[in-house]
Amino acid sequence: MAPAGNNRSRLLLVVLLVTALFFITLDLRGVSLAKGSRSVTQSVLAPVQRAVSSAFSPVGNFFSNIKNFGKTKARVTELEAANAKLQAQVIFNKEIQGELTQLRGALDLAGRAGYTVVAARVIGKGSTSTFSETFTIDAGSRDGIHPDMTVIAASGLVGVVKSVTSTSAIVLLMSDPSFRIGVRIARTQSAGVLLGEGDASYILQLLDPAGTIKVGDELVSLGSDGNKPFVPGIPIGRVSSVDNSSASLTQQATVIGLTNLQTVGVVSVITKMAKQNPKDSLVPTPIPTVTVTAQPVPFTPPVLLPSTSPTPSSSPTPSSQATK
Amino acid sequence: MSSFRIASSALFLLLVFVLQETLIAQINLPIAGFSLYLFALIGLISLEDRSGALILGFLGGLILDLSPTTDSPVGQWAFTLTIAGYLLSTNKESIGDFTTRPLAFVLFVSAGVTFSLFVYLFIGLLLGENNGSLARLVSIVLGNAFWTILFSPVLLPILPRLRRLSLTSRERI
Repeated sequence: MAPAGNNRSRLLLVVLLVTALFFITLDLRGVSLAKGSRSVTQSVLAPVQRAVSSAFSPVGNFFSNIKNFGKTKARVTELEAANAKLQAQVIFNKEIQGELTQLRGALDLAGRAGYTVVAARVIGKGSTSTFSETFTIDAGSRDGIHPDMTVIAASGLVGVVKSVTSTSAIVLLMSDPSFRIGVRIARTQSAGVLLGEGDASYILQLLDPAGTIKVGDELVSLGSDGNKPFVPGIPIGRVSSVDNSSASLTQQATVIGLTNLQTVGVVSVITKMAKQNPKDSLVPTPIPTVTVTAQPVPFTPPVLLPSTSPTPSSSPTPSSQATK
Repeated sequence: MSSFRIASSALFLLLVFVLQETLIAQINLPIAGFSLYLFALIGLISLEDRSGALILGFLGGLILDLSPTTDSPVGQWAFTLTIAGYLLSTNKESIGDFTTRPLAFVLFVSAGVTFSLFVYLFIGLLLGENNGSLARLVSIVLGNAFWTILFSPVLLPILPRLRRLSLTSRERI
């Protein structure tokens, strides 16, 4: 016969599991249990995330830079402290410079298309225990951000706003496995669907059976009905390899995203669409490369004149210039 | 398990949850991230008896369900960690007291974290969630296990001490 303690714990197990299943059922049936509770959590966490985000990096760098602090001589200590402070300031300035560069890029991209955007800093990332790819940004409904708005960075698409509080928003990244977006190949105008894979690569499924994909093809967003969640014309990625197997009905390809989601610090949320569709105007144009071919010049031995004495010369001979 | 210990454990877990969501999640560790929250929760569960492990698992799961970045329905983590709490406490009875055997403690907690993640994914699969490719999921779970094993020797000694503080005088005997 089982001890009473075991029976009690089994009963407790059943009660707790049934309660958990009850919550799951409520949530899946559309009772806004998750939305409300998670919104409250996000409102509470956002100020802490903002504070940690702004404090963590400079402080970490500061401490790593003053590891030699504590010398015996007062003067040396004073100078080292001043030096460390200046170094921390320089690192802090570099960080701000980096953020400014990203912001300038994102605003430049939005400006070319004529989108109205709200810039925001990334203050948090989704933890691994949730298995979803998300960012938390420091702008919310107070700044005009609502769910299902497109989020971009300097080089292209980042994701879509998933949920919003008054001061922060959660962005579902395009790398999330549940992420789907309609895309268009800039070269052929063929439409397809891009699927997130959980990392920097994506799967492109072409909708047009007769369409072709080539390595290096640029993809832009197709746009959604009413521009929500996606506005058209946002650069997304570049085809890195094409799957030519005959097993699938439509052509598939692997795409590398234009935006490095690991290093994004500043993003722009598109709050208002441009009057005109930007079409392919935002597709990044490759930087032209100039190839210089040096023609080998046959070596000609210097002619020594018997009447002149050799003098040192600093200027190189034409032949040596050509061969360098 | 006294109501004071339930309340103090829940408060401690809430603090770790805030730390996890605000600080730990921002650290880009190679392979995959480290879940301080799961580590602390499984560590506490492994110190409890069967009823205590069940209650802590359920409460801890509900707190984790509040994470704003998660897509799963509320109750999925509670369900997962209740099962994990039951199975871990049942198996723990055959191992005995962990506090005198640090290596067993480290391995048990790491295995518990890994097992919980697998159960969560399995339940997600049953609910029709899309969590990505198998390779990605395995790398996340194994990466998490790796970091848990690595950080456990540093962080685990804190948990029994914290638990001792929350014991009532009757429970200490």
